[in-house]
Formats: sequence, structure tokens, C-alpha cells
Amino acid sequence: MNWKLVFKVLGRVELVVMAAMTLPLACALLYREDPTPFLYSMGIIACISLPLSFLPTKSSSFFLREGFATVGLIWLFTGVVGGLPFFFDGGGGFNTIWDCIFEASSGFTTTGATILTDIESLPQGILLWRAFTHWLGGMGILVLATALLPSMGIRSHYLAQAESPGPVFSKLVPKQSQTSKILYSIYCVMTAVEVALLKLAGMPFYDALVHSFSTAGTGGFSNRAASVGAYDSAVIDIIIGVFCLLFSINFALYFLVLQKRIWEALKSDELRFFLIVVALATVAIAVDILPQYGSILQSLRYSFFQVASIISTTGFATADYVLWPQTAQYILILLMFCGACAGSTGGGVKCSRMLLLLRAIRREIHQIAHPRSVEVVRLDGKVVDEGTLRSVLVFVGCYILVLFGAGFIVSLDDVTFDVSFSAALTCLSNVGPGLAEIGPVGSFAAFSPLSKAVLSVTMIAGRLELFPILVLLTPSICRKY
Amino acid sequence: MDIIIVGNGKVGFSLAEQLVKESHNVNVVDLREDPLRRAGDLLDVMTIRGNGVSAVTLREAGADVADLLIAATSSDEVNMVCCLTAKSLGTKYTIARIRNHEYTSSLAELRRNLKIDMVINPESATAVEISRLLRFPAAANIETFCRGRVELIGFRLQEGDFLAGKPLHALSDQIKSMPLLFCAADRGGEVYIPNGSFVPQVGDQMYLIGQPSALDKFFILLGRYSPKVKQVLLVGGGKISLYLAHILDKLGMRLKIIERDPDSCRLISEKFPRAMVICGDGTDSELLESENLTAYDAFVALTDRDEDNLIISLYAIQQGLHKVVAKCNRQNYTGIVRSLGLDSVISPKFITASHILHVVRGLQNSQGSVMNSLHRIADGHAEAMEFTVGPSTRHLGVPLRDLHLRSGILVAVIVRGKEIIIPEGSSCLMENDLVIIIARKSGLSDLNDIYEPEFSFPGTGNIE
Repeated sequence: MNWKLVFKVLGRVELVVMAAMTLPLACALLYREDPTPFLYSMGIIACISLPLSFLPTKSSSFFLREGFATVGLIWLFTGVVGGLPFFFDGGGGFNTIWDCIFEASSGFTTTGATILTDIESLPQGILLWRAFTHWLGGMGILVLATALLPSMGIRSHYLAQAESPGPVFSKLVPKQSQTSKILYSIYCVMTAVEVALLKLAGMPFYDALVHSFSTAGTGGFSNRAASVGAYDSAVIDIIIGVFCLLFSINFALYFLVLQKRIWEALKSDELRFFLIVVALATVAIAVDILPQYGSILQSLRYSFFQVASIISTTGFATADYVLWPQTAQYILILLMFCGACAGSTGGGVKCSRMLLLLRAIRREIHQIAHPRSVEVVRLDGKVVDEGTLRSVLVFVGCYILVLFGAGFIVSLDDVTFDVSFSAALTCLSNVGPGLAEIGPVGSFAAFSPLSKAVLSVTMIAGRLELFPILVLLTPSICRKY
Repeated sequence: MDIIIVGNGKVGFSLAEQLVKESHNVNVVDLREDPLRRAGDLLDVMTIRGNGVSAVTLREAGADVADLLIAATSSDEVNMVCCLTAKSLGTKYTIARIRNHEYTSSLAELRRNLKIDMVINPESATAVEISRLLRFPAAANIETFCRGRVELIGFRLQEGDFLAGKPLHALSDQIKSMPLLFCAADRGGEVYIPNGSFVPQVGDQMYLIGQPSALDKFFILLGRYSPKVKQVLLVGGGKISLYLAHILDKLGMRLKIIERDPDSCRLISEKFPRAMVICGDGTDSELLESENLTAYDAFVALTDRDEDNLIISLYAIQQGLHKVVAKCNRQNYTGIVRSLGLDSVISPKFITASHILHVVRGLQNSQGSVMNSLHRIADGHAEAMEFTVGPSTRHLGVPLRDLHLRSGILVAVIVRGKEIIIPEGSSCLMENDLVIIIARKSGLSDLNDIYEPEFSFPGTGNIE
């Protein structure tokens, strides 16, 4: 393990995070608020990162192991330093350092779970920073870093590989730095379009910015206590719902569209699976909640928004779904597990993994009926090699184990099963709200510091797809031999 | 440039590695998963799995817009078809690796009909390289420029050489008056461009450039001039051996070839009636001794296994042979065996990569000065390039001492008509000169790149 180089990269990347704080700082100055929380935080980050980024390194060996460990460390560290502005602000519900770490981890991992109870009392700068962490974490801090600092002197694709969600890592163009630039360009343009549409739909510019950052990262932080429901506008619901779905589609497909290969993009198995799941869930929930809302259009509106918000793992709410019938809530839990498409900003197990899992199960059943049959699993018409398939199965298994493990630790707080299980699932899948007390109008404030710490790590593990964090926990990476 | 490499074997991988270093966009196509994963893990390239002859795969790799396609799979025929397909899809320049002896006679027609822009044959190129070393045994490696009128020779300083231990400006007038230039020195992997105060040390690999006749004289003075090689012992009867035997046979050297496989032995014997062919294990020291190893002037190890080649070459050196050449594709062993006295280690993969890099750099500057050749010296840590000075070259007629050259760049030789000039401060470049440049870092593609940028903005500074 080349720790010196790992920490050097860590230092460089944290400088990017520090630079990102200038946006909320400017906002705070604009609204004539106290800028000191940001100034202190930037000072502290600079004190730590600058010496690290100039660490002299003897060896430049940087392999997958270093890549995974770097990514894991960077995200854990970012969760801490990202919480510094909340700590220095101290308002709302930021009582302990654990609250701040939880909130920042929830932000960067695009979860959107909050420990705040009185959101609207916080300064605008802090609220913008919360939403902006979603935007940064959505596409990835390291993807941004590889776009901005192409020559970190390491094989940067190892970093992007560890950070990008999905069963297989693929680049758009041969160079990693170029790939990152293309991804961020698409991301920025889509965010800008959403801001413009929301503004046109009558949202104030500041709110439009906050909600666009949240939607783009599929996070879910809002600057209103009632989330998107506060605007009570069907147009805004539809814009945000559609953008949630757009941001949870594989960005490689947008690149295909830009290359005028729209037909190829539409033929993607994962995209079709995703859209079918969205359509089925929307109709099923709409039927289920029809008695509550009366009109079919109303129930479709609320059902569509909630499905889009949950499957994209955003976590906005226009209605308190905890009051909906049990079936509807159960469907939402299933959507939380399934999650968005690979290569998007969303979380969860990912649709492509679910699809591969289902196809592997079908093959296994075939094999029982015809023990000598030889069959390959395909995705988009291409054969999926057995190694990838195995890693998908291991991933899903691991996901379930981590889910139950984290749920157990939360249950030490003596909460109901609804709460402990949905807290673990919503954090691991980076959704945000859970069931019962931690539903769309609830908050995570009541949990013990231990639960908050464990859930913070769970969120980061979910965002990085488990292995970068699990690697950090194995002793073999510390040994020299 | 957008470059597609089909076939990620030894040559494909080392090419991709070098091209990525020179910041090209590289797509690697291969049929097998494992080499692709290796390329994807170690290099910043895009990998595409599929057969390189299929238009679908090639289009996926971007053959319709690519500037260059290099087909380096193990099959000559696949390489040819691949180039043909790519060309019809719209690739601008195609290079095919063709190594079968049987194709060499009809190569011109093949190239024309299959629209292959360049054919590379690593085995034949390696054989040419080895034959050059056998013709000039004092050198550890040797490169030629201007159709053989200028040679660049690398040799290792030994204990007792008069060069060692004093600065170059203190050399005797006789040596200073020779039209020769010490153009590079490799000390344990670090490359220096020597000036007058440079002090050569024992163990340094020195690179000397000049006319062949002057180089001969210098090596006689150094006491290193060994008699011409007349008898050569070759171990291994593969493709390189066949090409090499062909060349050495024409030069009138006497050959003995040791090969393990009886069928190959018969084939060699059919082709080269004058050569003596021994069927046996060339790595067996008993056999080598019974075949009178010590009586030969030169020993060349060309078996399939790098390790065998190095070990038997070291054995030959121990037995007191003057000239020993080993084929070894793995770069990391070269340093180890060099410290044991084996200087001439030849890597087909390295030679091929150098040839292709030369083409890539040439394609990069379609206008401007023409790069005639490129040789990588000192294990790839430095490059020697020959350019033709064109009308677009800047600072023509300005004395070199008034120019600001980049650091790590040396104008080593200027060839003007029949004259070969070792430049001094008062020399200048003229149109149609041939000029040989030594550069410590890679990436030079135009002669104008040797000058320090004239307007350097604050902050951007030196590229070094």
C-alpha cells in the first residue's frame, strides 16, 4: 500500500471540495449572512490538505487496491469536512459533531436523510451548501477531480472506477479525464435546463437552484420543511418528477444521443426495464391510493411523483406517504431496494444488477429442468461474462448482509422494526426518507450518536457500492506482504 | 490522434503504453477478455471486445473517424483483412504486422491491393538490428542515420578506459579534432546530455555520434576495436533466426544454428545450405562446449524464452566470447543483465514500437519539417531523431549560440550536401539540411519544437 500517494491524492481532492465552498460563501455574502462558518471550514481544510497535497512521494505505484482505498478514505474524510460549516453554524438541529457528519454524509452520498427538525430557520448559505453537496456527490467528487486535475500522476481511471456505480465500468472516450469532462458537461447542462424550467414554473430562483441541485444529484434536500409539497403545483411536481427520472438514467446513453445514435440508446435493456418498473409502480400505487384522493388524475399525480422520487433515490415528497395504504408503502420499499440505472447519479442495487440477477435466476431454473443445457446471460444483446455475473450476485448478497447489519445496530436504539429496517435501507440505497417516524415529514434527529455514525458509513458504503469501504475494513490492505 | 490497436499482445500492449504516454486517444480491440482487462486496468485506454476483422467491432472502436489503425494480432491474414476493412470504413492510415517469410516476396502488391499504408515485421527488423551489431562488434547498440552516413553508437565504459574519470574538455587534441560528439550518457537509468565539464565514470553507457570511419578510429584508440566477426553461433531457429541467417549469409559470415525441433532444423538446412544446423538443446552447456563455443567470434541467443536467452548469453560471456547478443522482450531484465556484462540485449517489441512511434509522429505533423527516422536510446529514456529542414522551420541561418533551445535538447549532427558537420556555436541550420536531434524527453514531432517558446506567459512557464 502506497499510503503517501494515497494521502497526496486525498489532499488534492479535498482542495476541490474547499473550492466548491466558494459558491455557498458567495450566497451567504449575497444574503448578508454571517460568512464565518464557511471561512473557518475552508481555513481548516486548507490547513490539512495543502501540506498533504505536497507530500513528497518516492514511489508512483498506484493499483486497484490503492484506488479503492483512496476513494473510500476520500469519501469518509469529505463526510467530515463537509459537515464543518454546519458545525460552525450550530443552528437548526446541529447539536453534536455527529449530527453534522450525518448531514454532510447524507448530502454527498445524495441520500437526503436529515437530522434537522426546523429547516426553514437555517441561513440560505447553509441550505445552499446542503443542496450543493448533493450536486457534487451525485456525479462524483473524484470524477470532478479527474476532470479538473487530469495529471495527478496516477492512473486516475482506478479512482473513477471505484466511484462510478454499476456492475461494469465503461468509459465514453479513451481518456479518463476527457470522459469526466463529458459527463460533467452533460450534468451541468441538464441542471441548468431544470433551473430554467422551475423558474418558468413560478419557483423563486434560489429555490429553483436548491431543488435542481437536489434533483440532479438525486439527493432530496429541500429548503422547505414540506419539501416539494410546499409549492403545491402540478407543473412543478411534473418537472421535478421527470428530471428525477432523467438523472437516474445511465449518462452513457445521453452520450450516445449526442452522437446521434438515439436508436442504440433506446434499445438499452436497462432503460426499458427501468421505465417498465416506473410505469407499473405508478399505476399500482395510483389504484391503491385512489380512495384517499378521489380523482384518478390527482392520485396519478401523487403516485407518479413519489415513484419517480423513490426509484431515482431522490426522496422528495409531495405527500406524506406514511399515511398511504400498506401496499403502496411496500411497493415504495421495493423501489428503494431496486434503485436507479447504473452510471447515473442514483443509488440502490441498480436496475442492471436486478435485471442480471433475474436472468441468472431464470438460467438456474432452466438448468434444473435441463441439466446439460448450456446458456449464456445477455445484456443489450451482448454476452455477460461469468466474472461480471458472479460479482453481481456477490454484490446483491453483500448488500443484503450490510442492510441487516446496519438495521441491527439501529435497533439498539429500541425503535420499531419499521424504523430500524427502513432507516438502514433508505441510507444504504441513498434515498432519504424511510417509514413511520422517519417518513417524509419526520427526521433522524432522535437516533443515538452510534446509529448516526453507523448510518453515515452505511450511506457512504451504499454510494460507493460497498467494496471501497469494505476494503478499508480488511486488515490485508495494511499489511506490507 | 485517435488510434485503434487491434490485438493486445506484447507489441500491442507496449505500443498502447507508449502512445498513451504521448497523450493520444487509444482504443484497444481484442478477442480475449484477459488481455483487455489488463490493458484497461493498467492504461488509460478504452477497450472493445470483438474480432478486429468485423466491421461492427471496428465501427464501435471508431474506425470511421480514426487517424490510425495498427493491426498487431498473431495472425498475418487477420491483420491484412483488418486493415482493408478499416480503410474502407474511413480510417486514414493503416499499419499491419506481417511476419510470415512467404509474404515478403509479394509484399508490394499486397500493400497496394489491401491498401495497407505500412507493413511492420518485428522479426525482420530485429534481424537487421542484430546484423548491424555483428558488423560493428564494439558497440552495445548502434543506430544509423542519413542512409548509413552517420552512426550513433552506444558502449559501456570499462575499467581502464582513458575516458573514465576526467572531464571531456581534458581529452587529447587528437580525439577532440575527430568529427565525433558524445551526445548522451546513461548512468543508472538517468540520462545526461554531456557538456565539456561532464566526467564519464566507469559503468556509464556512452552514446557517440559521427561518421563511421571516425568511429572506427576512435574505437581503435580506445583499444576496443575487435576483429571482424566471421563465425557466428546462433541458438534458436525461429523467424528472427531465419531473417538473420539470410542477412549474415549474404555478408559471408559462417553460421552454426542450434535448434531443438527437428522439422525446423530441416527447414533451415533447406534454405541455407552453407549453414551448419545442429539439432539439440541450445541451453545445454555440454552441447555448446562440444560444438566448440569458445572458437566463435559471436554468439546470438534467439530462443522463445527470454530467461533462457539471458542465461546462456551470460554463460557465453563467461566463456570469453567477445560479442554476445540476446533477444529479450522484457524490459525489466535488461538492467539486471547489463550489470553482469551483457550489453547487447535486443527487444523486438521495443524496436517495433519505435518504428511505429516514428510513423505516428510523422502523421502528427503533416506539414512542416519531415521526420526521417526516430530511434529510442538508453532504454527509451532518450530519443535520437533525424529531420529534414523545411521552409517552415524557424530561425534558419541564425548561429546556434544565439538560439534558445529547450533544455534536454541537443543538435548533434548537421548534414549539408556531402558535408557532415558536428555543430559549434557558430553553426546554423539551412533549408534542406538533414539534422539529427537528441532529446531527453519524448514527444518531439516537429523541428520547431526544439526551440524555447518565444512568448512564455506567466504561470504556464516551462513545459519541462
